[in-house]
Amino acid sequence: MKMIVVFEKSPRLRHIGHLDLMRAMQRAMRRSGLPLRYSQGFNPHILLSFAAPLSVGMPGQREIMEVPIEGTMTEAAFSAMLSPALPPDLPLLSCRAVPDEHPAPMALLAAATYEARFQDVPSGLGDAVERYLNQPEIPALRKTKSGEKPCDLKPMIYGLTLTGDTLRMTLALCEAATCKPDLLLDSLFSFAGTARPRALITRTALWGQEGGCFKPLEAL
Amino acid sequence: MNDAEKARLEELLEKVQKPAQYIGGEMNAVQKPWDSVKTHFAFCFPDTYEIAMSHLGMKILYHLINGKEDAACERVCMPCADMADLMRKENVPLFSLESRAALNHFEIIGFTLQYEMSFTNILEMLDLGRVPVLAADRTEGDPIVVAGGPCAFNPEPLTPFIDAFMIGDGEDVMHELVDCIRDGREAGKPRLDILRALAGLEGVYVPCLYEATYHEDGTLASFSPTDPAAPAVVKKRVVKDLSAAIYPDSIPVPYTEIVHDRMVLEIMRGCTRGCRFCQAGVLYRPVRERSMERLLELADKLQKSTGYEEMSLSSLSSGDYSCLPELIRALMDQYKDKRVSVSLPSMRIDNIVKQSLEETQKVKKSGLTLAPEAGTQRLRDVINKGVTENDLIRAVTDAFECGWSSVKLYFMMGLPTETDEDLQGIGRLAKKVVDAYYALPKEKRAKGVRVTCSASVFVPKPFTPFQWAPQDTIEQVREKQAALRQYLKLKCVNFNWHESPLSMLEACICRGDRRMGRVIYEAWKLGCRLDGWSEHFRFDLWMKAFEACGLDPAFYAYRERPYDELLPWQFIDAGVSQRYLMLENERAKADKTTRDCRHGCNGCGLQSWGVCDFVEHPPLKDKEPAQAPIFD
Repeated sequence: MKMIVVFEKSPRLRHIGHLDLMRAMQRAMRRSGLPLRYSQGFNPHILLSFAAPLSVGMPGQREIMEVPIEGTMTEAAFSAMLSPALPPDLPLLSCRAVPDEHPAPMALLAAATYEARFQDVPSGLGDAVERYLNQPEIPALRKTKSGEKPCDLKPMIYGLTLTGDTLRMTLALCEAATCKPDLLLDSLFSFAGTARPRALITRTALWGQEGGCFKPLEAL
Repeated sequence: MNDAEKARLEELLEKVQKPAQYIGGEMNAVQKPWDSVKTHFAFCFPDTYEIAMSHLGMKILYHLINGKEDAACERVCMPCADMADLMRKENVPLFSLESRAALNHFEIIGFTLQYEMSFTNILEMLDLGRVPVLAADRTEGDPIVVAGGPCAFNPEPLTPFIDAFMIGDGEDVMHELVDCIRDGREAGKPRLDILRALAGLEGVYVPCLYEATYHEDGTLASFSPTDPAAPAVVKKRVVKDLSAAIYPDSIPVPYTEIVHDRMVLEIMRGCTRGCRFCQAGVLYRPVRERSMERLLELADKLQKSTGYEEMSLSSLSSGDYSCLPELIRALMDQYKDKRVSVSLPSMRIDNIVKQSLEETQKVKKSGLTLAPEAGTQRLRDVINKGVTENDLIRAVTDAFECGWSSVKLYFMMGLPTETDEDLQGIGRLAKKVVDAYYALPKEKRAKGVRVTCSASVFVPKPFTPFQWAPQDTIEQVREKQAALRQYLKLKCVNFNWHESPLSMLEACICRGDRRMGRVIYEAWKLGCRLDGWSEHFRFDLWMKAFEACGLDPAFYAYRERPYDELLPWQFIDAGVSQRYLMLENERAKADKTTRDCRHGCNGCGLQSWGVCDFVEHPPLKDKEPAQAPIFD
């Protein structure tokens, strides 16, 4: 069976890159004593997959990984073994047992919510957000391996609201279309005609889709 | 750090390279609430995180101090150059990884001295941490700055910056030192009285209580205490029973990659071989083994607490551990199914057990490094390396048969009595190693043989039989390197060499006197730091610093010192007598070897300390009278 694990990557660890995080998780798994599964091959490694890599510099409040294990065990037993093996800044929040055939979280992923907390909120940003969203199209240049490509951000923005000093963005995150928060912020502030202020961006949720509605990825 | 400083630090972390090295929060890092303990000890490693976190001594002492109920130990590393510059510009103090406390908020600051070329980093760290760099400028509220480690055996070059040195094994003296400072502070004693109390602890040297005078020619005229609290001779500390000694059963597991990212089991301390260039072989005497039972227990706990996938057995000469095959077999059995590999660095050529090679590569194959040190048997006898060409060829043949195809060979150039013949010998030896590979049938060897020869420049070190020897000049070394490059222009052979100016400075500092401290200070003022990193090393600035201090590097590096000269480190008793070192130096000049003292006491001086297991063996009856032990 597999466990869908929800964990936090706390702000202290935001400078840890994805590969380092993966190694830290693998070591945590080895400390836990869980009946893990290993890859085949000359240098077997623990099977473990993340729903979506986090950018360096970004904390994640509800990150998700999938951990295949040998045999079966209850969610309570799993979390009792894994929790003490995790560093304090990578706490386990919940887990859910699913059968091996259950699709990987990565395959179900549709969107993510990010929160940008600004040090100084530029005046009139609320209005600018409204006008920004009212455009029929939101043209932007997306950086790809083969250079910059023009694209329309509008269909990739599922939500954009400013509350106090925090801008909440729900953006497409799947194989077909991805809008990174950086791209959106650059586009928004160039539209608003102000310099982009410093902000701590946190990924707060990962979403999948079911029947046309967004649902927390771990619940799918 | 206050909140404003912490906020500025967060901004800096977004600008620097490799910010993950500054964040702490690793698994097993110990973070005690700041106000819950009386004594805060900043364990400072004068190099960057990736090197600091690879160091075993720090892990032992971190565990030891944090084991004390009323003390906390936090780690502080040297920031990289980009970070150091930004910290200074943005007024962010050097801080600990655990609490992000500024260095000057600790009661005790402890540096470990592993390498002379990290000394300017000590000054840089103190300055970034808002602690007066010069001990003389520190006042009552300032932290007490202490230091220990192998380079503390000649503490003189660092005396302007360090309040107290710990000489020898740190396990016991660290307890005493922390308690002594705590008691002194609680009793409201003035700083000088705390330092005087420290000077009363065995193995502790408080430099401000001593005075040195010099002859006109620059050599040391006298060295003696100026305070009744300070002993004339400072005796190194020795932990007698390694199995009973404290050892961490859990260590911080870094998030980022570091140089040695694995758990380390120190299987033994010390070495009986007596190689004449080797300082560690003298400083860490006598040999003490950790029991197999204790090692297996520690291995189990460490593996469970860290989740590491690799374990390394550490010592100066692992092959000499008396039950190595049994230990390896037991570890292999314990870890086969847990996918933990075991690596064995520091194997000598003459006792690599083929079985160890086979066993260790069952899980994962690591590189094989061998150190013949010199190219001819004559020179190997001079340095008392005690290995033969046959040993080397047998070892590499075994390794090739076990599936290795790349071998590293370590040599030194500039050893006393070295001639061109010895350099040619390095080439011949490399060729023979390649031939040993081709001598095997194709189906018995792995593809693509590669022999990497690496030649460092010999640095004469205090407390070795070569402590009186001159170092080759930079020009001599360059000529030898050029010659060696020719001799090693061979198929399948690579050649690496070390920068000669760096080795010259190492020689100056490691055998320096108190005045060398002024050079270090001046060099740092001129901008020297991170000298061990080639991209930051500024030989020109160091030369300027010597000039500004009116001192000549040749006096320290290139001069043969007479036996009757008072050496700056002579007031330290490392257990091995100066007389024995002289005798060994004379035997070297006569191409004579000295036996491994496991086979009979050679009378190095430690026999009277009651700490050496091998004194019990009666001295062997040798034909040569010089081989007989000398008991002072």
